[in-house]
Amino acid sequence: MTELTRRSLLGTAAGAGVAAFLPAMPPSARAAAPPAGKQAPGFYRYKVGDYELTQISDGSRTSPMPDGFVRNIPKQQALAAAEAAYMPKGQITVPFNPVVVNTGSKLVLIDTGFPPGAVPTAGLCQANLAAAGIDTKAIDMVVLSHLHPDHINGVKTADGALAFPNAEIKAPAPDWAFWMSDDNMSKAATDMMKGYFANTRKVLSNVADKVTRYEWGKEVAPGITAIDASGHTPGHTAFAVASSSGRVLVQSDVTNIPDLFLRNPDWHVAFDIDPDKAVATRRKFYDMAAAEKALIAGFHFAFPSLGYVEKDGAGYRLVPVAWNAVL
Amino acid sequence: MTKLSRRDVVTGSVALTAGSVLAATTISPAAAAAPPAGRQAPGFYRYKVGSIEITVVTDGVNKFKFADNHVTNKSRDEVNAALAAAYYEKDMMTTPYNPVVVNTGSKLVVIDTGTSEANFARSKGAAGQFHGNLAAAGIDRNAVDLVVISHFHGDHINGLLTPDNKLAFANAEILVPAAEWKYFMDDGEMSRAPAGRMQEVFTNLRRVFDALGRKVTPYEAGTEVAPGITAIATPGHTPGHNSHIVASGSDKVYVQADVTHVPYLFTRHPDWHAMYDQDGAMAEQTRRKVYDMLAAERMMVQGFHYPFPGLAYVERSGAGYREIPVPWNPTI
Repeated sequence: MTELTRRSLLGTAAGAGVAAFLPAMPPSARAAAPPAGKQAPGFYRYKVGDYELTQISDGSRTSPMPDGFVRNIPKQQALAAAEAAYMPKGQITVPFNPVVVNTGSKLVLIDTGFPPGAVPTAGLCQANLAAAGIDTKAIDMVVLSHLHPDHINGVKTADGALAFPNAEIKAPAPDWAFWMSDDNMSKAATDMMKGYFANTRKVLSNVADKVTRYEWGKEVAPGITAIDASGHTPGHTAFAVASSSGRVLVQSDVTNIPDLFLRNPDWHVAFDIDPDKAVATRRKFYDMAAAEKALIAGFHFAFPSLGYVEKDGAGYRLVPVAWNAVL
Repeated sequence: MTKLSRRDVVTGSVALTAGSVLAATTISPAAAAAPPAGRQAPGFYRYKVGSIEITVVTDGVNKFKFADNHVTNKSRDEVNAALAAAYYEKDMMTTPYNPVVVNTGSKLVVIDTGTSEANFARSKGAAGQFHGNLAAAGIDRNAVDLVVISHFHGDHINGLLTPDNKLAFANAEILVPAAEWKYFMDDGEMSRAPAGRMQEVFTNLRRVFDALGRKVTPYEAGTEVAPGITAIATPGHTPGHNSHIVASGSDKVYVQADVTHVPYLFTRHPDWHAMYDQDGAMAEQTRRKVYDMLAAERMMVQGFHYPFPGLAYVERSGAGYREIPVPWNPTI
């Protein structure tokens, strides 16, 4: 430790030379060790069959709930649901959690979060990868579930270089076709949609030669099968990661935050491009997952963002898994 | 890195001398990914209560086949049904241990100590992680000013000692509940205690406190044991069991110790009596009183036997309660 703490001043550590300071110190000033002021690294490991998976926190964002955050209900109702879920009054917290899958033959990152510094309380993916001892250069494949900013922007570093220089980037073919279509962009009606079209191109156009398109119903990597979960975006994809008898469903954005949209699956989050289809996908996905008691990794669940989903009234409830202190 | 990974072999990043290794190794057709890490993230989690910084430091998890009387007033089948409802394995009890460190600004305080470093080797690393995770959290145990003990069960006090039976917190004062000390250090009480588990509890706590020369400071319920930390009598689990409210500004958290044991049994079913509850009826009465208060005040509870990080809100649900884990905050 290089910093001279009040503890070392008052203790013996700083030596006799500090004796002169002592009379000036009020007796109540004896301080504890300084606060750390920093959260633990946000990564969590678990096994799925022979595969080792690591949930990586990219951080979260808490902000006043925007008007229209839930399109088809009064704002008061959405605010009440957030408050019932112990969020700060009037605010909404949305976490972001990419996943690393080590299949033994490939090191695969599913979704990327934001680049460092892009958002004050997010953009932690690369730092947490480092804390987990995962070298960004060792990532063989980056699989994108869909092309929204919180999933793709971390493909780049803060200065615009490729964050995973040796990785093949895999994008769902229907999403690539949708967002890269000039015709679709010209028809974008809202600022949000215009922003998404611009962002997709800004992040991916100049690395398009690194991007491979993948199809649903096929393996995108060994043991990782792409599942049509469209509605949120035209090419929105969930994944089944399976090894031996183990399996986890990486749901991506089948729901946004569970406190609102898992409990109320008919609510339309502002980001769902085809909300009715998103609702149908959501119900089908969770009815199946609940029946199978399937483990689910949710990009917008609270870290470590793993849980089971069960039916509860007209909606569903997330039961987070208990942290396993050993692997 | 000292171990030769398949990646090294395949990519040729190993020097020529590895040629003989290559010849002797069966290489799978696919290029290998980076080797698996094979170990969990360090188990600590920080949050603020007003100006106070709390670090939950996990001691790990003990997983064992439970005895028929694990819940004294419920059958194995009923316990298994509750486990299934919570996505736990049949016939196995999964018990986490989560001590906390409270930095009040003027004092660095540990509340409960886990199962001990010695247990780390015994449990093959599953438990006894507290001291390792303290170090991972950057907390120097020699900087701890106070250790506050909630009650005298082994998973709360054994971590006071190093494997060679020295005080693990060399510069700390040890605070113990006065009622607990009076009861458990009474030789008459020990002589009247039933054989088996209760005798083991008495023997173990005397082993620990005798190693410390019985140098402890008893504290009374209802008093501040450290700035911002108030002891609350929550008897039943043991006669002198205490919980602690940590408060700063308008924030507070209820550090419950063992008001409930694991939540998926005893928060959901407050009328179930864990075999660890010395007076099951009194423990239940205490539990209902505390949980009714937590639910009414929407106060956060920090549970020693809740899954790490052990921080939750409590809501009434049916005839019992349901814990709502506080979402992990990636920044503080």
